[in-house]
Amino acid sequence: MKRMIALVLAMVMALSLFGCGKAAKEPDLTTASWEEITAAAKGTTVTFYGWGGDENRNNWLNTTVADYVKQNYDITLEVVGMNIDDILAKLSGEKQAGSAKGSIDMIWINGENFYSAKENGLLYGPFTGKLPNMEAYIDQADPETLNDFCMPIEGYEAPYAKAQMVFYADTAVTPDLPASAEELMAFCKANPGKVTYAALPDFTASAFVRNIIYELCGWEQFQTMEADRDTVKAAMEPALDYLRQLNPYLWNEGKTFPDSNKAVDAMFADGELVMGMSYGPFTVATGIDKGTYTKTTQTFVFDKGTIGNTNYMGIGFNSPNKAGAMVVINAIISGEIQLTQYATLRDLPVVATDKLSAQELAAFDAVDLGQGVLTQAELLAHRLPEMPASLVPIIEDIWLTDVVGK
Amino acid sequence: MKRKWTPFFLLLPFLGIIGVILVSVGNVLVQSLGYIPAFGLTRLTLDYYRQIFAREDFVSALQVSLRLALWSASLACVLGVIIATALVRLKKAGGGVLSVIRLPILTPHAVVAVFMVQLLGQTGLLARVCYSLGWIQDFSQFPQLLYTAGQEGTILAYLWKEAPFVAYFVLAFLSGISDTLGQAAENLGASPLRAFFLVTLPLSLPVIGKAFLILFIFAFGGYELPLLLGSTLPKALPVQAYLSYMEPNLRARPAAMAMNGVILALSLGMALAYWAAMHALAKKVGGIR
Amino acid sequence: MKGNFLFKFLLALVLLLILVPAGQILLWSVAERWPWPGLLPESYSLRTVKELLFGSAKLPGLLGSSITLALTVGVLGTVVGLLTARATQLYDFPGKELVSFGAFLPLLVPGTVFAMGIQITLIRLGLSDTVAGVVLVHLIAAIPYCITILTDVTRAVGSSLEQQAMVLGASPLRAFLHGSLPSLMPGILSSVSMGFILSYSQYFTTLMAGGGRVKTLALVLVPYIQSGDRALASIYCVAFVGSALLVFFLFEGILHTVSERSRGK
Repeated sequence: MKRMIALVLAMVMALSLFGCGKAAKEPDLTTASWEEITAAAKGTTVTFYGWGGDENRNNWLNTTVADYVKQNYDITLEVVGMNIDDILAKLSGEKQAGSAKGSIDMIWINGENFYSAKENGLLYGPFTGKLPNMEAYIDQADPETLNDFCMPIEGYEAPYAKAQMVFYADTAVTPDLPASAEELMAFCKANPGKVTYAALPDFTASAFVRNIIYELCGWEQFQTMEADRDTVKAAMEPALDYLRQLNPYLWNEGKTFPDSNKAVDAMFADGELVMGMSYGPFTVATGIDKGTYTKTTQTFVFDKGTIGNTNYMGIGFNSPNKAGAMVVINAIISGEIQLTQYATLRDLPVVATDKLSAQELAAFDAVDLGQGVLTQAELLAHRLPEMPASLVPIIEDIWLTDVVGK
Repeated sequence: MKRKWTPFFLLLPFLGIIGVILVSVGNVLVQSLGYIPAFGLTRLTLDYYRQIFAREDFVSALQVSLRLALWSASLACVLGVIIATALVRLKKAGGGVLSVIRLPILTPHAVVAVFMVQLLGQTGLLARVCYSLGWIQDFSQFPQLLYTAGQEGTILAYLWKEAPFVAYFVLAFLSGISDTLGQAAENLGASPLRAFFLVTLPLSLPVIGKAFLILFIFAFGGYELPLLLGSTLPKALPVQAYLSYMEPNLRARPAAMAMNGVILALSLGMALAYWAAMHALAKKVGGIR
Repeated sequence: MKGNFLFKFLLALVLLLILVPAGQILLWSVAERWPWPGLLPESYSLRTVKELLFGSAKLPGLLGSSITLALTVGVLGTVVGLLTARATQLYDFPGKELVSFGAFLPLLVPGTVFAMGIQITLIRLGLSDTVAGVVLVHLIAAIPYCITILTDVTRAVGSSLEQQAMVLGASPLRAFLHGSLPSLMPGILSSVSMGFILSYSQYFTTLMAGGGRVKTLALVLVPYIQSGDRALASIYCVAFVGSALLVFFLFEGILHTVSERSRGK
């Protein structure tokens, strides 16, 4: 009797190892019209993979955006929270195994991750040319529409939101805020052990180092630089010197760095550090609202500018619902949705102001951004472009060998 | 005929599972030897292994991992056995106290890291208590326990989670021995301390040894706690493997797999050493398993 | 009794070290600001409670599916453990030593190594992104513990009760159910709860095997910890540990009732 049970169990396990395939039913997307694509997407589910740690964004996606695509296109949006590294690891695993139908439709992606994913064939494209709203709302001449970290996008991703590097401090604790790398050095000397940045390759810390490089070495030369370690190292030498000189005044004397920017942010909120940094230009407003920051916390940037970039939406190479993904992406770049993103999440929109109607423009201007932040105009006046994605890992590696503990 | 094949049938599910494990280990090894057709790599080579052995941070990564594993496992076993003994002697091997001790076992690593930062960080609870007692005037005066090259924070985190695990693991066995043979020794005139050290402890060594092995391999191969609480440099070996695996540049994958291969080989070596040691010990002590 | 005092002190210290961080997390989950050097938060808010109950994670459904998945792993692990334990303890066959070594195999392979290697296998078997795949991977992690617990218990109970019953005319199944099973119960419940805990706390393996589609509480918890919103992360930790403890207490209750009943028999 026990034998029978064991045998049945073994058979069940063996049988369960044979999965069922999913039915495919998509028109040829390269030749289909937008009407055909929308029709094919009707009644389907689209998955959107991206970082899940921002609860406000999760809620916005699950309510505002999901309701919009359900009502207008009868699409069910499924938001999956996952780090971009894990997403790419999953896609490359699926590519290795030759899996033609995966489960990732839309991906929130940019920078060196986009570059690597595109190079390794993990993304579907080109597709942005097919989206009506690309022409209707996005500035086609904007370098950030054509290039992501200086790498040509070639229609493989559509803009999602804009970000810009900002710093923040509590003016009640440190009334004088630094506006350049030089002033930052003096600031750290005045507040020893109370400033730091996360260990690279943390996204925000990496941007901070790039900002310093731009300040001291000029940003133009990097736009067309070759991805060769010696070339890059020679060009960034002044910045390396600066960072090494800065080390003794940093938290832990620059011998070790916090593992992520969120740790830096937590230390700032606790008073352990007097300065924080973020890629979200309006995070201070959200923080003051939540009560995590004091009301006197203020955002600031460097006079020479801080790095800004755009983040994008891409489509997985083996997405089971490419048509649906395109429809949802098209919806997100519309003026209507971008307005809600600006109002609810306080993220810089990607729509071109000259393509908006007077009504839409008024709606954008009416949004209250909250306390402790700079205006959109101020931010854009101090905005510098990113450097080529291929240089970023090189810089991160050089930082590890030439700055940590030196 | 029936009797002879029964065990085989009973073992089928188990063998199925072992098969899956071996296949995934095989995957790792094959990739570490450079065979990833999807990326156009089809030549079997030991290059990736040579590459990582040649890296200057490999030796330090290995040292960090070994140090971490040795200290965590040893301290956790010692503390765990002491806790188990305390529970047995105080007759508290059940109820509320045991539930509290079980709490760390339920806690995932990421949460343990959060606990440690809150407790041991320079602005953590311990530091704040020291400040209220007037022992320090500023948080920078509190010693740096986390993110150090000596990995003290990670070791403490493992200790917090694993000592209760050891206590739980050895409790049943320890109380069994203590109630029977330990008691017998005391009845024959030995002091409780002597009974413990000369009777209960030696007989429990196989179980404690198993716990030590499990913890050692666990701490040696784990990446989460060293990633969150360890130093920027040097990194533990599994942390490097994990970061290489997660790199957007997928060409780094064979190197990540090679690091995994090294971790596997060392874990296997430890297990075999343990088996040999336990066999020798069993001969000496007279085998109560 | 001097020795006992030392033990009492030590035990109290250990309990303190375990409960204090837990208490901190409880406070953090309703705290707004808790700057240096306060021993208590500066201000409180119920924002996180609202977000936990009504937020994007859809807690009630998530709890239900996570607990069900973990229980499935616990039960399956126990079944496999029972069968394997019977084979090694009640029968003799060549290669018995190898089986005990094999039971250890999942422990020898570090979780991350295994997860990185299993991804491709699961895709080829069509199990990636499925609940079945996640259950399989969790099962592999749970097996060593289940087998160890059930081996000890099976050896202790032996087969004498069953053999007696069969001599008296009972079928093998009845002999097992009425003979050995009641005595095996404590071990069985212990194994199920161990398997439950292991599966419930898995993160990396769930991520790799489930591809983000199979959502468990542990999976959802980690991004919140990484997000920097400490209050929200803390309340999710509280939800996680709280629910695990609840299930655990349930098991203790069942164990108690079962052992009372079997003693009465």
